[in-house]
Amino acid sequence: MKVGFIGLGLMGRPMALHLEKAGHELHLWARRPESLAPFANVNAKTHASPAEVAKHAEVVIVMVADAPDVEAVCLGADGLASGAALKNEPGLIVVDMSTINPNAARSIGLRLAEKGIEFVDAPVSGGETGAINAALTIMVGGKAAAFEKVKPLLEKMGKSVTLIGDSGAGQVAKACNQILTGVGVLAVAEAFNFATKSGVDAGKVREALLGGFAYSKILENHGQRMLDRNFKPGFKAWMHQKDLRIVMEEAHRMGLMLPSAAATAQVFNAIVGSGMGENDSISALMLLEKMSTPE
Amino acid sequence: MRVGFVGFGAMGRPMAEHLLRAGHALSVWSRRPESAAALLAQGAQWRASPAEVARDAEIVCTNVTGSADVEGLACGPQGLAPGFAAGSLHVDFSTIAPSAARRIATRYAAHGIDFVDAPVSGGSAGAQAATLAIMWGGKSALATRLQPIFEVLGKSIVHVGATGAGQVAKACNQMVMVAAIEAAAEAARLAAAAGIDFAKVRTAMLGGSAGSRVLEVFGERMATREFAAGVEARLHHKDYALLLDEATRIGAPLPVAAAVGQQLNALMALGWGRDDTSSLLRVLEAGGQRGPVR
Repeated sequence: MKVGFIGLGLMGRPMALHLEKAGHELHLWARRPESLAPFANVNAKTHASPAEVAKHAEVVIVMVADAPDVEAVCLGADGLASGAALKNEPGLIVVDMSTINPNAARSIGLRLAEKGIEFVDAPVSGGETGAINAALTIMVGGKAAAFEKVKPLLEKMGKSVTLIGDSGAGQVAKACNQILTGVGVLAVAEAFNFATKSGVDAGKVREALLGGFAYSKILENHGQRMLDRNFKPGFKAWMHQKDLRIVMEEAHRMGLMLPSAAATAQVFNAIVGSGMGENDSISALMLLEKMSTPE
Repeated sequence: MRVGFVGFGAMGRPMAEHLLRAGHALSVWSRRPESAAALLAQGAQWRASPAEVARDAEIVCTNVTGSADVEGLACGPQGLAPGFAAGSLHVDFSTIAPSAARRIATRYAAHGIDFVDAPVSGGSAGAQAATLAIMWGGKSALATRLQPIFEVLGKSIVHVGATGAGQVAKACNQMVMVAAIEAAAEAARLAAAAGIDFAKVRTAMLGGSAGSRVLEVFGERMATREFAAGVEARLHHKDYALLLDEATRIGAPLPVAAAVGQQLNALMALGWGRDDTSSLLRVLEAGGQRGPVR
């Protein structure tokens, strides 16, 4: 299949390469031309604008930072929509794998639909490691027919691909994911700091808890990295802060009470504000240590 | 002075009336012309667009709702900007994001137009009595031009700093005030749950270190269960989104404000957005037993 790919960062690059390895012809555009270097010797054509990518591809995957970027790529000057209008054979599916506000996703989907373009939101969980190992969890919102068409592509990048519901539903699932992981990482950090400050070995506590109802992947994986004091990302704290901002914006818009997520978002503000934004989210532990009486 | 005015809500209308009464020549425009009718009857002149208001006035005052409204009014088609001559001055009394205020100032600066953010505290009662607290941001050299306007609207006028500083001060004001309303509500809830008359508790507290203006005004509304607006809670809800968003942008943890923000979300969900913010008490009541449990 002819697949467009826009957004070749830490996540996007390995994802696009998986598609190429599976035999698809890539059509690329990048804001920064140096992002195209890893694609010099593979089956990939580079283009001067998103519009050009849309002209040549049946499906375009977008993996950028935030809603305004997605909007610019899709609907801006020389965006995907303006290129799709010039195609000989009509029909384009845009798959946005960025994490953005669900309401923004719905709005972009509606505006693309007016121009005859299908839009699917398909944010991912699993981080850079998941992208490199093609082991992402992919949460999809959109029409079933469009989902069936792009599913084979998504399965080359992830090992769990789920259609959650209509347009925006993928982003809602991702927001739920970020509530659970944000609050979860903070909960593990609080438990470990509590154990350590009580003079108890946090590693032993973790081992015991893994066998009980407090078991979670976060306790297992993030917990281990806290014990190893390995704060390298993983998933950067500032990105988690951004994702919780989306959650809190939606809670405000809809009138939802999310007390734990709200408190957690403030801890992420403190992590970023104290200069640890480029570290992994587990830096929550360092923040709690700084705020606690030394042993 | 020739003064333009746009935005005649619960705050804007009495403010515009004070300016008229002080002898300023007022030219006005409104999205809903009927909201300006009372002012026209008192001698204000109608203009066909914000641009026409700007063309006429030495200073233009605005008092609308959100960041997008002010930006549209300032820089949109037929907005103020195309009507302003170089050296004009726009004073915005709305509560908006500090970053929005800075954006407008930057766009104006290219055309030699000055922008001042001057949000107010004191509510519609303060607007009617001309006792508002005005906190403004912008070039300090503008103070003398602003004085004839500010002095007829408010009794406390503080130049906080550069553009956006007024909005930062207003965000702090809203944060402290609504957190205090929540604290008063929690006290009222605790007293009632213990089977104690909150009115008595409030009277006792007013004489001690916990005494405050909020406990006085909002505490009374809680004690008398008078939840009709005073200040519509939806406006505080809007302000909390602004200040929490700003906290995210600059990486400042605000744990109490975040918790209060969630109580406000629940208040909106329960349908009390157009009631007074003392309804925070009813949010607490919705979350638990009314009287003593055992």
